[in-house]
Amino acid sequence: MSRELYLAVHAAEFPAQVLLRLRPELRSQPVAVLDGPALQQTVCALNRHAKQRGAVQEMTRLEAEAIQDLQMIPRSMAEEAQARAVLLECAAQFSPRIEEASQGTACTFVLDATGSERLFGPAGAMAEKLRRAAASAGFRVAVAASANFHAARMKAASTPGIVLITSGEEAMALEKLPIALLDLSSEQAETFSVWGIQTLGQMAALPKNDLVARFGAQASRWRALAAGKASHNFQPIEPTLELREFCEFDSPVEEIDALLFVAARIIDSLVTRATQRSLAVASLAVDMRLEGGASHRLALHPAIPSVDRKFLLKLLHLEAAAHPPQAAVLSLSIEADVGHASKMQLGLFAPQTPEPSRLDVTLARLRAIVGEDRVGAPELEDTHRPHSFRLRALHAANTASASAQPATRIALRRVRPLRPIQVMLHGEKPKSFHDEGRRYLIASAYGPWRSSGCWSQEAWDAEEWDVLATDSTGAPLGCLLARDRLHNAWRLEAFFD
Amino acid sequence: MPASATLRLQIERSLEARFPAALTPVPRTIRETAATGIAAVDELLDGGFPVGAISELVGPSCSGRTSLALAFLAERTAEERFCAWVDAEDAFDPESAAASGVLLEQLLWVRCGGAKKEREKNWTRLEQALKATDLLLQAGGFAAIVLDLAGIDPTEGMRIPLATWFRYRQAADRTRCSLLVLGRASYAQSSAAMVLDAEPMRLEEVGGTMLHAGAFALSRRRQRFPQQWNNARKPPTSTWTASAPWAVEQSA
Repeated sequence: MSRELYLAVHAAEFPAQVLLRLRPELRSQPVAVLDGPALQQTVCALNRHAKQRGAVQEMTRLEAEAIQDLQMIPRSMAEEAQARAVLLECAAQFSPRIEEASQGTACTFVLDATGSERLFGPAGAMAEKLRRAAASAGFRVAVAASANFHAARMKAASTPGIVLITSGEEAMALEKLPIALLDLSSEQAETFSVWGIQTLGQMAALPKNDLVARFGAQASRWRALAAGKASHNFQPIEPTLELREFCEFDSPVEEIDALLFVAARIIDSLVTRATQRSLAVASLAVDMRLEGGASHRLALHPAIPSVDRKFLLKLLHLEAAAHPPQAAVLSLSIEADVGHASKMQLGLFAPQTPEPSRLDVTLARLRAIVGEDRVGAPELEDTHRPHSFRLRALHAANTASASAQPATRIALRRVRPLRPIQVMLHGEKPKSFHDEGRRYLIASAYGPWRSSGCWSQEAWDAEEWDVLATDSTGAPLGCLLARDRLHNAWRLEAFFD
Repeated sequence: MPASATLRLQIERSLEARFPAALTPVPRTIRETAATGIAAVDELLDGGFPVGAISELVGPSCSGRTSLALAFLAERTAEERFCAWVDAEDAFDPESAAASGVLLEQLLWVRCGGAKKEREKNWTRLEQALKATDLLLQAGGFAAIVLDLAGIDPTEGMRIPLATWFRYRQAADRTRCSLLVLGRASYAQSSAAMVLDAEPMRLEEVGGTMLHAGAFALSRRRQRFPQQWNNARKPPTSTWTASAPWAVEQSA
């Protein structure tokens, strides 16, 4: 049986990391995250540049404002929840057994990596891979590897970078760490301070019986923790795949381009997360919270699941241009549904078909040019009512399912909208008609062909005539005239061509 | 070596600085064609409309342009290929297309002239049709695209820049797409591989009560890549007929 191995992943200043993750332009600036009620806001997290300027945690807003160029961003719990899920997914790539050990404003996960050396290499290589995976997701983490759960957790929380604790040397690795890492009350911490006990090494050196006599049974556990010998009952959590990212803007965003700038990063992150599980993005639901309390939703449904970031962003761009939000955007949330990436067997002799993802973009562009609901594959409706058809989305995967036989038929060219005309009758037959200022003499008229329906509602009652006519120059014209019998109105419906 | 061949070789060598292979015929390029399904028309076109090129079908109203285009699309969709109809006038009739045998689920219909929102640019129908055709040609994957300009005024159509047609020709060639342009006049000029003139002939009736069929004339005005060198005997004009859908139903 292989020896135990725990990897602790510690993301310090998590609220700041979360906010900077989707705002890389702020990473080179001093940033402090404010938390608390409006008038009592204090700094809860800050980045390295802010620390260099003298900012510290628990600093009030007034004190923070005195620091030059310090960017202050309000804390977003919603973004933190999404980011926590992302970090958990990163960790889940290395082990299915993960326990959360977050404290304060830090986010910490401890992985039970026992037996994973064959997959990911020795502990050092595994820790490096884990740190890189977190970095690619936008997190700066410290990783500690140890055979003891708590040793790994405490070492990661106090030491940046990667630390490997050799089995049996836990006490030595922890000896210089502050006792604040133990879960002490303020009174207990003060007592130890009075005694001059400041590090875990000093704590571990205290006589066990005397310590228990003063602080009770819990002191025994402190001592074990400090020596790196405390046992732990591992309680794994189940990471669920929820591909959702959320970004709350500091100020309302009005320009679509600015919105897409953030959306591009979110889509990038979602695609990466889907790819890590050998999946693809099947659909995207984009929710925007607008100024004034309204919300705006866009839905993207590519023809096939895709991992092409540019393609998904282009679809979102076209959709947002076609359906722009009616007010400035306060927050943006994108949720992805996943599917399996399509695999299509192409053939040398198979007829060419439009590439599905490219067709999606083309159709979206066409809709932007000619308008919504004016692009698609026509479908006849099951009714005798004239002009009954609808347009449905064209799918490149569709091939000939119907068994229509090509035939040579006279086609009609419809007149849309229908043109009212004046018709002279001879008996019941049309004799001549006027259309757009021109007079046409009817040589032959075949009809009437009557149809009616929907008598209960939206009734129609029409009479059609197939007409051969000539204009004043003698040019022939074949057309379809119709009379609305309900309103006794003539109109030009179509031309034979 | 025969004397004539020797003589030809000598002449070609003496002229090769100015005319490479002066007396040797230029190798013929066999262009792929797509049949229309109408025997008389296919014979006139040496097999059908050229693939990867622009063809123009020019004629007045009732000259059978739409019927011929639908017959062509029916053949293409029957081969499990995708086609598109860019409808500048919004005159396409899906019922006629279905009656002609076009598989509607493989046909993309772009209806130009839709109501635009205030913030969007207000393009004319013709501009919309040209942009849509450009996008479809660039996207590729369509075996045939019909650009229906039959309802567009010829003076308006003549203003389409030649660069547009040249771009279409290049894109059609690259994507192996047959671009068929319906119009009242020829617009593509030198970019068109084939220009056909359509004329109405007569509409036939049955017993004076019902329209039965239509006869149309088609003549070849221009063909850039003739498939046969010596086709002087072939008449440049052909006639073809199309029956009315209801006439077929009646006989069936």
